[in-house]
Amino acid sequence: MIRYLAGRVVQGLIVIFGVTIAVFVTTRLIGDPVNFILPLSASLEQRARLRVDLGFDQSIFVQFMDYIGNVARLDFGTSTKFTNQDTLDIVLRFLPRTLILVAAGMIIAFSVSIILGMLAAIRPGKVTDKILVTLSLFGLSMPQFFLAQMLIVVFSVRLGLVDIGPGPWTHLILPSIAIALPAIGRLAMTVRSAMIDELNSQYVKTAKAKGLRRRRVVAVHALRNAAIPFVTLAGWELIRALAGFTVVVEGVFGVNGLGGLAILAIRERDFFLIQTIVFVVAIFVVLINIVIDVVYKFIDPRVKLT
Amino acid sequence: MRKRFKIGSLLVAVGLVLAACGSDNSSSTDETTGDTPADTTVEAVPVEIVIALGSEPTSLDPQLVDDGGERAINDNIYETLLSREADGNLGAGLAIDLPTRIDDVTWEFKLREGVAFHDGSPFNADSVVATVERIVKLVADGKTQNDGFFKSLTGATKVDDTTVRITTAAADGVLPSRMYWLKMLPASAKDVADLSDSSNGTGPFKLASRDLGVNIVLEANTDYWGGAPSISKVTYEFIDESATRLAGLKSGKYDVITNLAPQDAGEAPVVATAQGQEHPVLILDADQGITSDLKVRQALNYAVDKQAIADSLFGGYAVVDAGQLLSPSILGFNSDLSAYEYDVDKAKALLEEAGVVGKEIQLVGESGRWLKDKELLEAVAGYWTAAGLKVNLEILEFGAYLDVLFDRENRADVVYVSSSNDILDADRQLSTYYQAGGIGSSNTNVDLKQLIDDGRAELDATKRGEIYNQAVKIAYDEAYFVWLVNNQDVYGISDRLIWSPRVDSKLLIKEMSVNS
Repeated sequence: MIRYLAGRVVQGLIVIFGVTIAVFVTTRLIGDPVNFILPLSASLEQRARLRVDLGFDQSIFVQFMDYIGNVARLDFGTSTKFTNQDTLDIVLRFLPRTLILVAAGMIIAFSVSIILGMLAAIRPGKVTDKILVTLSLFGLSMPQFFLAQMLIVVFSVRLGLVDIGPGPWTHLILPSIAIALPAIGRLAMTVRSAMIDELNSQYVKTAKAKGLRRRRVVAVHALRNAAIPFVTLAGWELIRALAGFTVVVEGVFGVNGLGGLAILAIRERDFFLIQTIVFVVAIFVVLINIVIDVVYKFIDPRVKLT
Repeated sequence: MRKRFKIGSLLVAVGLVLAACGSDNSSSTDETTGDTPADTTVEAVPVEIVIALGSEPTSLDPQLVDDGGERAINDNIYETLLSREADGNLGAGLAIDLPTRIDDVTWEFKLREGVAFHDGSPFNADSVVATVERIVKLVADGKTQNDGFFKSLTGATKVDDTTVRITTAAADGVLPSRMYWLKMLPASAKDVADLSDSSNGTGPFKLASRDLGVNIVLEANTDYWGGAPSISKVTYEFIDESATRLAGLKSGKYDVITNLAPQDAGEAPVVATAQGQEHPVLILDADQGITSDLKVRQALNYAVDKQAIADSLFGGYAVVDAGQLLSPSILGFNSDLSAYEYDVDKAKALLEEAGVVGKEIQLVGESGRWLKDKELLEAVAGYWTAAGLKVNLEILEFGAYLDVLFDRENRADVVYVSSSNDILDADRQLSTYYQAGGIGSSNTNVDLKQLIDDGRAELDATKRGEIYNQAVKIAYDEAYFVWLVNNQDVYGISDRLIWSPRVDSKLLIKEMSVNS
């Protein structure tokens, strides 16, 4: 187990290094950010001078070696958009807002989808199942930006129940629902089909035959076996949400999280900020993947971590 | 069973749609009942307002960045030697009057007495000297984006506590305008590299807190020399999405939102507008290609229905640009000029004369940076096609677009840009887009270049105005541009807020009050 984890960490470091190179090179390929920093009326001399100041006149290789050297000293560079601000500092300030949003959204998504999926699977093809399947399809096929706007219109503007924009935790209710709904759609379908498979399997029949309560059969025996595909997909949902898919929801609700920051950084060509965001997100993706593997082992001891 | 289930899901869907659309009656009752208790108690409690800006300040140092978000905040924290009145004319500020000229490069300002910074230190000639010396150094070191505003400054000297002289490298008629732009810092700020974390001005508001990505809060400066403002606390939030700003305004969270989209104006509780400084314009290459022929350039102007663009595209929140890129509030605005009228037949005849009917013309622009940019370009392309040209419309990503705009070697036939001028001095647009060699200019007219240089060096305001009148007339006659419209600044404001927007786009909280 320890040995396995050590291996995964090394793998993860390689992934992060690879991502760092890829992001570094691709940002440099889209041109330098000088024109984005200076006002339209700035002179050519002023532009040339800033280019030299920021080192963007150097070759990509020289820039990259400088960057790696700095990262090794935990200096991720200064933002060009937020003047004189350290990019890691900025990212760490925006990150919690996205993390809380994603966590809230995923807690809603995971719990609701397990319950809905199980309910649907108990009597496949019957009314409950059909309603739940329709609702799931509704949730996952509704574009997020539309869903988000509808939530604002109904709950904030019309009913005045919750505020939008930054502020206390109540502001998180609508955006986390907006993040959860499509995930609930996808996850509930997975839980449902996995549960139907398990409920039709021999061991469930045996369990029923030896007289176990139905509730116990469904909630303990079948659910645990159905959990493997669920965990896989849930991990994917989590990574998906963290690695940028909250952008739309953050934008519409004015959450000012990492997703919005990434868009801003890309739009304003803030290279160092883009790099730091990707670096931090890559660490999360690697960590989540390791956690998922461990969870597999926990759910199903037959899984070998090699 | 199957049918019932279908009806059920249909009902759910219909329910959602109904809830979303709602009836206006029910919602307005909701809002009034929700708001009334708060309104009646306003008298006794301190007045707090919330403003939604489109973008967050990239810095809170008043000298480092050229950034609308920064100005929106710092315009309330810091003050300048001169200010602008509602019509755009310069007036007293921290200086008690307009400056007197000592010689061609020296201007003397008399300072207001009894003014203090938020930390209690006095505002005096030393503060002015420190402010000027700091910006001069920042410009010399290439550390400020405001190079264009302040590179003519060379220094300042104290005469006595309330008298200071500011010097320029050459005669600089723009200096008074520059002193409407240069925010005054305390003497202690002189050697601080970045003032973002040590905000300290003389203005009616002081910085209470800044939470990056969330908000900025200002509190009233009760010791303000001009009297304590009626609003005691203002919170700024940064909402990129225009529809979200509007939703927050409608829900009562925000009192002011900026850049209200024209199509949403009907939705806002109150719409407030000012004749702003934004002018979308098309720069024509006067030296090469199809646009080097004056007849073609004139035809391109005649072919476009500017009024229709102002009315339909901008929903009436724009007026036709009077052929000069300057708003009426700017010194140098030539009131004798009026826009090229919309006349397709004349355009066709001119293109015919020039022998370019059916020829290709390149129109380069971008999408998403400025209000309705893509729609505007498509409309123009449509008008030119109708006049008989083959329009090659290139809508580029902003970076690629800037490369075209700044390409001094190969000028595109036509480049779109939206020119703004918050400092309200003609030199800014003219030296950028009109003057040969300016970064966005596409002509090599030496007379025009000379006039713009003369205008900058002219110290008498009346004479400067006359010079600029001539300059814009030349460009108008030569049709170096297709002038389109002058956008209004459009704000959405809450029912309770009392405020009229300014021509210089400043969001001065001291000019706002709340209806109790």
